[in-house]
Amino acid sequence: MTFSPVFHIARQELTVNVRNKWTLIFAVIFGILVTGIAYFGMIAEGFSGMQNFARSSASVLNLVLYIIPLVSLAMGTLSFTGDKGSAELLFSQPVLSSEVIMGKALGLFASIALSMASGFMVAGIMIISKSGPQGLTSYLAFTVLSLGLAFVFLSLSILVATLARRKSKAFGFALFLWFFFVLFYDILAIGITLLLSGSTMNLFLFLSLFGNPVDVVRVASLIIFDTATIFGPAGAALLRFLGGSAMSVTLLVCALLLWAILPMALAVKIMRRQDF
Amino acid sequence: MIAARHLTKKFGTILAVDDVSFEVKRGEIFAFLGPNGSGKTTTMKSIVGLVKPTSGKILVHGIDVQMHEKGAKASVSYLPQRVVFPENLTAREILYFYASLRGISRSDADEALEKARFNGFSEKYIGEFSGGMVQRLGLAVISLPDTPILLLDEPTASLDPQGVKRFREFVLEQKEQGKTILFSTHLLAEAEQLADRVGIFVSGKLVAQESVDGLREKFLKNKTIEDMYLHYVETFEGQHQ
Repeated sequence: MTFSPVFHIARQELTVNVRNKWTLIFAVIFGILVTGIAYFGMIAEGFSGMQNFARSSASVLNLVLYIIPLVSLAMGTLSFTGDKGSAELLFSQPVLSSEVIMGKALGLFASIALSMASGFMVAGIMIISKSGPQGLTSYLAFTVLSLGLAFVFLSLSILVATLARRKSKAFGFALFLWFFFVLFYDILAIGITLLLSGSTMNLFLFLSLFGNPVDVVRVASLIIFDTATIFGPAGAALLRFLGGSAMSVTLLVCALLLWAILPMALAVKIMRRQDF
Repeated sequence: MIAARHLTKKFGTILAVDDVSFEVKRGEIFAFLGPNGSGKTTTMKSIVGLVKPTSGKILVHGIDVQMHEKGAKASVSYLPQRVVFPENLTAREILYFYASLRGISRSDADEALEKARFNGFSEKYIGEFSGGMVQRLGLAVISLPDTPILLLDEPTASLDPQGVKRFREFVLEQKEQGKTILFSTHLLAEAEQLADRVGIFVSGKLVAQESVDGLREKFLKNKTIEDMYLHYVETFEGQHQ
């Protein structure tokens, strides 16, 4: 694999997506939601007005965990199940499948990242102006984790598109994945723990965390916000088991990297054998 | 320049291409004729590595396509049956993109744009283009690199008569430059006018391959290529049913 075609394909994909009205709509809505949640998010807890970074990040976390996977899956499947004539012309050029996949993924990711970063930036500037810069580092780390989550689901969408090939089928699979990881997985994990006990249950709970990238980002974010105790004894046990906050976050980031790389690598392997 | 040896392609239980062998010499124009679903497109896609053969071998410019796909693709420019470009890019951006993938300079791409008579349209978005203009842009894209081989899959399918005329000029111009051209078509007159040789596909088999004149010699002198084409299709389709 050479970098030059990857760069050219990524640049074209970025241009196409930046000019897409849906990317702009997503950027605007995401920006409004992040800023709005930072402002109104903790009214129920008795806080009003613009929150500081720690509170804002905690409030925005759920928005990120719901919306980012859905947007990444949708944009990925749309792009990778695009028109046949366009794919045929591109793949008939002297480029490798891996270069096309990597280039398109990077271009798509750049467009999602731009939309997300602009939303986080607007909210960040408002928070600094109202509440000061305390907690900015955690907020930036949370932004990076959110971008990581976007890349993971983009990678999953590429695998889905490669397997399904047809747009409607790929969308169906993508929606199922979103439902599974965002809504169903935790219920399933809790259900299984009811059947287990003692150390087996603890080990299962610990391992199940790595089976869902949404949970990986959720837990890593809460550790970064220093609110892992929200999990109660389980959170404390997790931190103890992993060897403290820094070690925990490192391990979780490694898991996220694997989630980002493996689906895409598998998609490349499958695509090499596929016909157009 | 292009050689297929016992090429076979199955899609599940469907035999799309059945033991096809042929050769296209340097500087030759070879036309694939045949009904829909007879294996023309699958054979063309195999040449450019878009379809992986079930068995058999394809050599392009002496390079085994399956063994060295990237190297083989560097010698070929392929125009798909229905070429599509992103609607929110301009003609110039499209050409720059494909030029960059082939290591061609932007000034050469600008020249290709002028040559394809895109003056006044080069900054327009593809979404504003007619089907014929998109096809013309496709031809500009494939003529951009100086590849020795051109593969054109039903290139005149969406062109108006003026576009067809321009396409014929394009093919003859490329032939003058010594390029090897393989195209598929339903227009028998087109094959007769442009091709040095034709290959007739029926039900995945290449049932005839000969020069246009040679085919005529085989039959009565006063028969047209259309009569001969229908003769082959009816004879071999009858055998496969």
